[in-house]
Amino acid sequence: MSTAHTIPAAYRATLGRFTRSTEMTLFAVGTIGFTILAASSHGSLLRGNAVHGILIYLTVPILIGLAQLVVLAVGQMNLSVGTLGGFLAVLIAVLMADHGVPAPIAIAIVLVAGPAIGAVNGLLVVASRINGFIVTLATMTILGGLQYRLAGTRTIDPGSSSLARLGDRSVFNIPVIFLIALVLAAALAFFLRRATAGRRLLASGGNPLAARLSGISNDRSVIVAHALSGLIVAVAAILTVASAPGVNKSIGGDWLLPSFAAPIIGGAALAGGSVSVLGAVLAAFIVRLVDVARAQYSLDPSWVNFTVGAVVLGTVLVGRIRSSRQDRIGRAPDRDSTLRPEPRPDDQAKPLPTAGARSTS
Amino acid sequence: MTGHTPAPDDADVGRPRTATDSAPAVPRWAGRWSAGTAQRLGLVLVGAALVVLFGSARASFYDQQLTVFPLLRDIAVFTVVGLSQLATMSIGHMNLAVGRMAAFSAMFMGIAYQQWHLPLYAGLAVGLLAGAAIGALTGWIISATGVNSFVVTLAMDFALLGLVSLTYSQLTTVAAFTAKPAGMDELRGYSMADVCVGNVCGSPAIPQILLFTIVAMLLVGYLYSRTRTGRELLLVGSNSTAARLSGVPVTRRVIGAHALSGMLAGLAGFMLAVTSGSFTAGIGSEFMIPSFLGPVLGGTLLTGGAVSVVGTLLGTSLVQVIRQGLTTLGTGLENLNIYLGVILLLALSTDRIRSVVSARRAVAHP
Amino acid sequence: MTHPAAHTGPTKPAEPAEPAEPAEPILSADRLAKYFPGVRALDGATLHLRAGSVHALLGENGAGKSTLIKVVTGLYRPDGGRLALDGTPIDFHSPQDAVRAGISVVHQERNVIPEFSVAENITLRRIPSRRGLVDRDRMRAQARRCLDLLDLDLDLDTRVGSLSTAQVQLVEIAKALSTDSKVLLLDEPTSALTLRETDRLLDIVRRLRDQGTAVLLVSHKLEEVFAVCDTVTVLRDGVSVLEGEPIAAYSREDIVGVMVGRAHTAREFAPRTVDPHGPPMLELDALSTASGHCDVSLDVRRGEIVGLYGLVGAGRTELAKALMGLDRVVGGTIRVRGEDVRIRNVGQALNTHRIGYVPENRKEEGLFLDQPLTMNIAVTVWSRIRRSLGYIPARRERELAAEYTERLGIRVSGPSQLVGQLSGGNQQKVSLAKWLAARTEILIIDEPTVGIDVRTKAAFHQLIWQLAADGLAILLITSDLPEMVTLADRVLVMRDHRITGEVPNTHDYASVSQAVIRLIHGTGSGSLPTAAPDPSNPDPACGFEPSNRP
Repeated sequence: MSTAHTIPAAYRATLGRFTRSTEMTLFAVGTIGFTILAASSHGSLLRGNAVHGILIYLTVPILIGLAQLVVLAVGQMNLSVGTLGGFLAVLIAVLMADHGVPAPIAIAIVLVAGPAIGAVNGLLVVASRINGFIVTLATMTILGGLQYRLAGTRTIDPGSSSLARLGDRSVFNIPVIFLIALVLAAALAFFLRRATAGRRLLASGGNPLAARLSGISNDRSVIVAHALSGLIVAVAAILTVASAPGVNKSIGGDWLLPSFAAPIIGGAALAGGSVSVLGAVLAAFIVRLVDVARAQYSLDPSWVNFTVGAVVLGTVLVGRIRSSRQDRIGRAPDRDSTLRPEPRPDDQAKPLPTAGARSTS
Repeated sequence: MTGHTPAPDDADVGRPRTATDSAPAVPRWAGRWSAGTAQRLGLVLVGAALVVLFGSARASFYDQQLTVFPLLRDIAVFTVVGLSQLATMSIGHMNLAVGRMAAFSAMFMGIAYQQWHLPLYAGLAVGLLAGAAIGALTGWIISATGVNSFVVTLAMDFALLGLVSLTYSQLTTVAAFTAKPAGMDELRGYSMADVCVGNVCGSPAIPQILLFTIVAMLLVGYLYSRTRTGRELLLVGSNSTAARLSGVPVTRRVIGAHALSGMLAGLAGFMLAVTSGSFTAGIGSEFMIPSFLGPVLGGTLLTGGAVSVVGTLLGTSLVQVIRQGLTTLGTGLENLNIYLGVILLLALSTDRIRSVVSARRAVAHP
Repeated sequence: MTHPAAHTGPTKPAEPAEPAEPAEPILSADRLAKYFPGVRALDGATLHLRAGSVHALLGENGAGKSTLIKVVTGLYRPDGGRLALDGTPIDFHSPQDAVRAGISVVHQERNVIPEFSVAENITLRRIPSRRGLVDRDRMRAQARRCLDLLDLDLDLDTRVGSLSTAQVQLVEIAKALSTDSKVLLLDEPTSALTLRETDRLLDIVRRLRDQGTAVLLVSHKLEEVFAVCDTVTVLRDGVSVLEGEPIAAYSREDIVGVMVGRAHTAREFAPRTVDPHGPPMLELDALSTASGHCDVSLDVRRGEIVGLYGLVGAGRTELAKALMGLDRVVGGTIRVRGEDVRIRNVGQALNTHRIGYVPENRKEEGLFLDQPLTMNIAVTVWSRIRRSLGYIPARRERELAAEYTERLGIRVSGPSQLVGQLSGGNQQKVSLAKWLAARTEILIIDEPTVGIDVRTKAAFHQLIWQLAADGLAILLITSDLPEMVTLADRVLVMRDHRITGEVPNTHDYASVSQAVIRLIHGTGSGSLPTAAPDPSNPDPACGFEPSNRP
C-alpha cells in the first residue's frame, strides 16, 4: 500500500461525486416518498409484514433492471429479459413438478441455461453484426413460444421443496430472496468497478474504437454482457419460483418495460459506458413505492405505469434542460471539439443526459 | 408518372447501405437486385410455398369465409401497423409505443362515438388527429432532448398504457366503448363483393377494410418516393448532420415522422376496433413485435435511410400466412412465435451472409 | 510511379548512432496495398523500422500515411504485400494482435474512454490485475510513472472526458508508453501540444531510441522531423517514393520536393477580376458568436476568393457554421449584398441569402453515403422545383443532377450510384455540386482538398478558381498554405476566434507564408497562442472569453 495516502482523496472524490449525483437525488426521492407514505398510512406501512411485502416484490424488479443494465453498459439492449425469465421459471417448475427433479439440480440447470442463452444472444449479435435490438426481439419471440409450449395453459406448482422454503425464509423480517438480490447487485457493482473483465466491458461501451485499439475485444465484451444478463435473469427466475405459488405462461410478460425503467431512471446512458448499479436499485425501489402508494390509496393499477412513464419523460426533459443551461454558462471557445459532442438533438446514439454527474459503476 | 426508374415498386426509394466499406463499385441495378428485389421476391416465394403447403395439408386453408377473409383482414391491419413503424424507421428512430398510440387514438374514437355521437368518419378523423398529436409530442421530446428514441417511446408507452386504462375506467363501465356509429358493422363484415358489383370487381374473400390499407400504402409510398418531405425524411435517417447542413429542417422532419407514425398507429387501431367490434384499452397491445417484423423482413433498415412499402406488405403477409396456417393445422399458437423468431433470424442472417460473400468477392477481384 | 531524381546512391549506413551495418528491421512492410472503393490508398508502400532508430514517415495529406499505420497496427487488413515482425511474416487480424506483438501507437484521432480516469486510460492496454481484479495500486503507480516521463502533473483520478484536447493527447502518449513496446508509432502526436510539451516528447523519443525501440514519427512539422529522425520514408499517392534514406542527406526543400512530386510552383490561372464597386456580397462587422468569436470583421466581394487561415481550433469552421445559422450570433452584424440580415437556419441561408457551406468533414457532414448521387445533389433544390402536394418532378431532378455531374466532371457509373462508392475527390465534388445546383452566390469552402490525391487537387483548384471567375464570392478555409497561396486573393488569419491580421497574396510563397505564420504565432515565439484578449477593445459581447480553459 505504497500509495495509501492518495486513497482517501479518491474516496473523498467519490463521496463528493455521490452527493451531487443521480443516486443522491434518487435516494432523497425514495426516502421522502417512503416517509410520506408511512406517515399517511399512520405507521401501518412500517409494520413487519408491510415491509416484508414491499421487499418481496422489489426482488424481481431489481434483478431484471440489473440484467438490462449490464447489456446497456456495452451499448446493447436485451429485449428478451422478460421471456427468458418466464421461460426459465417455467422450466424449473416443469422439471420439478413433472419430472421430479430435485430443487438443487433444477436450479443448477437453470443457472447454466440462463447464461448460455444469453451468450447465444451475444454470439448472434457479434456474428451477424445485426442490431442487438432486432436479434433480441427474435429471441424474445422464440423464448416466449418455448415458454408457452412448456407451460401450456396450466399453472404449475412446483410443490413444497427447499426452493419454496427459501422463498418463505426471512432474516430480521427481511426476505432472504431480497437479500440475495442485494448481494447480486453488490457483486455486479464490484465486478463493474474492480474486475478487469468488468472494466473491459465498460471500456467497450464507452468508446468501442478506443477499446479495440487498446487490445480489448468488443465482441467478447458483448458476449460476456449478454451472458451475464442471462445469469441475472436466471436468478430472477429462480427467486420468482421460490416466492410465487405457481408459475404459468404469463410470468415474465410484464418484465420488459420495468427492466428498462430502473437503469434509465437510475442514470444509465443508453449509449453505453456509464451505468449505475446503485441508481438502478434505488430506481426500482422508487417504482415499487409508486405501486405501494397506489395500493394504499386504492387507485387503479394503471397509475403505476402512467407515473413511471411520466417520470422517465420528466427525467429526460429536466436532464436536458439542466445540461443545456450548463452549456450556456460554461461556454468557452471550442478548442476540444474532439471530446465535446456535436449539438445534434436528433442523434440516435446520444447518451441519456440525466443529471450532470454520473458514476461509472 | 414520369416514366423513370423501372423499379419493381415505386415506393422503394432509399438504398440499403452497403454492408462493408470495401464493397466494390457495382452498378446500382446489381445492388438493387441483391438487396431489395431479391429480398421481396424471396418473401413472395416463401409465402406462396407456405400457402401451397398449408393448403395441401388442410383444404380448409382455402376456405374463403373461414380462412382467407380473416387472413386478409389481419394482413390489412398489421400492414398499417408496419407502416407506422416504417415511418419512424425511415429517420433511423423507432416507436416502441406504436401499440399504445393505437390505443390512445382508438380511445378518442370511442369517446367521439359514445360521448359526442359523431358519425363514423368524423370520429376516425378525431382519432387520427389524436394519434398524430401524441406522435408529434413524442417527436418533439426526442428533438428537444436529444435522447434516444428508444427511451422516449418506451417511456411514452408506459405513460399511455396508464393513461388509456385510467380513461377507460373513468368513462366506461364495461372497460369498452360499445357505441357503434352507423356503417361500422358493414365495414367489419363487408367484403369487396358487397361494395363492388359482386364478382365483377370484388371477391367475397377480400375484406372491405383492405381499402384503408391500400390507401395508406399509396399515400406513404407517394410520400417517400415522390415528395420533398419524404426524401428529406430519408436523408435525415441517412445522415442527420449532413441533412441539417444541407438545409433540411431536421427537427420538423423528426416531429413529422413521429406524427405520421402516431397517425398510422391510430388508423391501425381503428381497423382493429372495427374488426373486433368495440373500442377497448387492450387495442394495440399485440402491435409492437409485428410492427418491426413486417418492415424488417421487407427490407426497411433500422438505421434509417431506406424504406420499402411493398416489402412491408409482403413481410406482414408472410407472418400472417404462417399464423393462419398454424391455426388451421391446429398446431397451436405456442409454436407460432418460435417459427416467427427463427424466420426473422434466418432472414437477417441470409442478408449478412450475402454481404460477406460479396465482400469476399470484392477482395478476390479488386 | 518512378523513383524521384536520384539524389543519393544506395542506402548507406551513414548515421553514427547506428551500428556499422544496418540491423535487420524489426518491422518491415513490403509493397503493401490497400484499396477502398474507387481509391488506391496504398499501392506499393514499403517501410522498414529498425531498433534504436527514429524513422520519419512523410507525405502530403491523403498520401496514405495514416492508412499505412492502420494496416501495420491491425486495424485494416492489407489487400496485398507482406508484413513481417523480426523476420517472421505476420498477419494481424485485429488491433489486439498488434498490441500483443509489442506495437504501440498514438493514432491521429483521439482514442480515450471519456468516462474512465486518467490512470485507467493510460493502463488500458494492459490493465494491472491480481486474480481478475484491477490492482489499483499498481495501476496508479504505472500511470504515474508514464506521466512522470512526460513531466506531466495530472490528477490520476480525473475523468478524461473533462480534460482539454492537449491533455488528452498527452494521456494518449502516456498510454503508448505504458507498455514496453518494441515498436512505437506516433501519428501526428504533437498537433495539439505546446512547444515545451513537444520538446519533452522529442526527448522521450530520443531516450526510447537509445534504449533500442524502433520509433516511427508521422508529422507535418518538418522541424520536429529533422530534429529527431534518423531515416525517412516518403509516401506519395500510396507509393513509397523514398524508402528509408538517411534524413541527413536531404534538405527541407528536397523533402518537400519529393513529397509534392515536382518543383513547387504556384499555379498560374487565367487572371480574374474582382468587382470593386458596390457593396460586398458578404460583410461581417464586429461579429461575436455564442461559440466565442469576438469582433470578427471581414468582407468578400463578387468574384473574390478570401482565404481564412488558422490552426485547428482557431474557430474558422465555427464561424462558417454561424454564417449558416447553426450558431447564435450575440453581437455585431452580418450583411449580405449590403443589407443587414439575421440567419436562423441553413434553409434561410440557402434559400433567402444564397449562402452555401461545403463542410470540411465531407463523410460526416456533407454527404449521404448510402444514398444515390441524385439525392445528394438534389437535396438543396427540392424546395425550388417542388410542385403542389410536395411533388418532386423526378425528371427535372435528374436533369439537374446530370448537369452538375457533367459540369464538375464527377466520374460515376450512373445517376443512381451510391455516393459511398465514389473516390474521395469525386465525393468532394458531389459535396460541392449541391450548392452550385442551388445557385448559391456566396460559398464557404472548408478544407476542400483534405484526403484528395495530388492530381485531383489541382483539378479542384482550377474548379474553385473558375467558380470565382464566374462571379461567386468565395470564403476559403484551408490549413494548406500552398493551396492558400495558389487560390486566395488575400489571406485573413484567425487565432482564438479573432481575426488577427490580413496578408495580401503576392503569390510569392515564401513571403506570404512567413507573414501568415508570423500572424498565427503572434510574436513569433512558436508556442501555441495563449488567450490574449485585446484590452483596447472592451466589447461587452466578448465578455465570456476563454477564461475557463484548463
